[in-house]
Amino acid sequence: MTQTLHLVAVSVFIGGILIVDVRLLGRRSVGESHAAIARSAQRVLFWAGPAVLMTGIPQFTSNALRYYASPVFAFKMGLLAAALVFTVTLRRRVAADGDRMPSWVPRAVGAVSIALWMGVAISGRWIGFSE
Amino acid sequence: MKTKIILALLTAGVLCAGQSALAHHPFAAEYDAEKPVTLTGTLSRMEWVNPHSWIYIDVKQPDGTVQKWTIESSGPGAMSRRGLKKTDFVAGMSLVVKGYAGRLKPAIAIGTVGGPNDGADKQ
Amino acid sequence: MPSILPALEWLEALAWATAIRESNWGYPIMETAHVASIVAFAGLVMVMDLRLVGLAFAQTPLTRIQRPLFRWQMAGFALSGVTGLLLFVVDPLRYYGNVFFRVKLVLLALAGFNALAFHLTIFRTVGRWDEDPLAPTTARLAGAVSLLFWSAIIVSGRLIASNWFD
Repeated sequence: MTQTLHLVAVSVFIGGILIVDVRLLGRRSVGESHAAIARSAQRVLFWAGPAVLMTGIPQFTSNALRYYASPVFAFKMGLLAAALVFTVTLRRRVAADGDRMPSWVPRAVGAVSIALWMGVAISGRWIGFSE
Repeated sequence: MKTKIILALLTAGVLCAGQSALAHHPFAAEYDAEKPVTLTGTLSRMEWVNPHSWIYIDVKQPDGTVQKWTIESSGPGAMSRRGLKKTDFVAGMSLVVKGYAGRLKPAIAIGTVGGPNDGADKQ
Repeated sequence: MPSILPALEWLEALAWATAIRESNWGYPIMETAHVASIVAFAGLVMVMDLRLVGLAFAQTPLTRIQRPLFRWQMAGFALSGVTGLLLFVVDPLRYYGNVFFRVKLVLLALAGFNALAFHLTIFRTVGRWDEDPLAPTTARLAGAVSLLFWSAIIVSGRLIASNWFD
């Protein structure tokens, strides 16, 4: 049951991530309304993020040995750490200052962000397929 | 900002409370981790399918009757990684299944069969 | 009314359906693609709904948020639909009889109807309320309904894999 709520929270979280990344990838100017959008997206993440954690942690604790031994789970956690660091450092900078950089920078950052976060989601599902 | 953090933590607390064993996906809702079973019987049928294979075995009871068990098992990918093949499962063969009994229906379990590659990692 | 079961049995017996059903990698990849594309698509839709309801992005005009998202939503929807269709064909009898699958399809239709109704009515006047942090009541209602439906779609989709009510 918790897992189904985890999926809903993950979807909202990913929506909050993608809404910024899509703009980074776009040909349109990053600036203007972007600051407002980035701030709002951050609020979405601040609400959805804890929900993801609170529905994720009980899944782990109820079967900790299995997850601890799973290389796919370890991979997911590693990717999550990378995604978090990337988001609060590089992506935040580029989202705020993107207009003053060569256009390939925001696009690369957007692409990497999507790859990292969708990677977390995909490896999460893949845990179920690996034993 | 502070109220938001408090609200978030409260929500978190509510969600965490009473989760424990029920949290781990439908396994806990359908099968009982407190009821391990080891079933020895003859294979009646085996469905080598995704996402879970199904093993149907006839288990002879001490009183002579036969109990038909349905076991939910690993998908083809996981089975293959343990060295098993679809052709390894022949109707009439004797089989040992280890797993956990179901909650919702009688004579159902989630379990695994020994495979050639087992022992390489502990479970 | 003629039974659909023979058609489903025919689908199930297709060589490629059987191949996927018994595959080591094919099914896991397809199902993961299905889940991932739904997460992305539903995520984008729900985040738009949050704007509609006035809970997020209120400082930005609605259409300015929605415009760049549209093609991604369509891509996500297309991929979810194609993978979903393929998944169904792999085990049609099982899904046809599964209550959560049926509920999911009904919810999908309702969500679509809600979106269509929204676009054909209140959205026509969006020029007037695009910049308002609080959209008109009918628009907010459509957003709230959409949030509810998509959460329910995700939940019922996940429960298809459970063995309840088999």
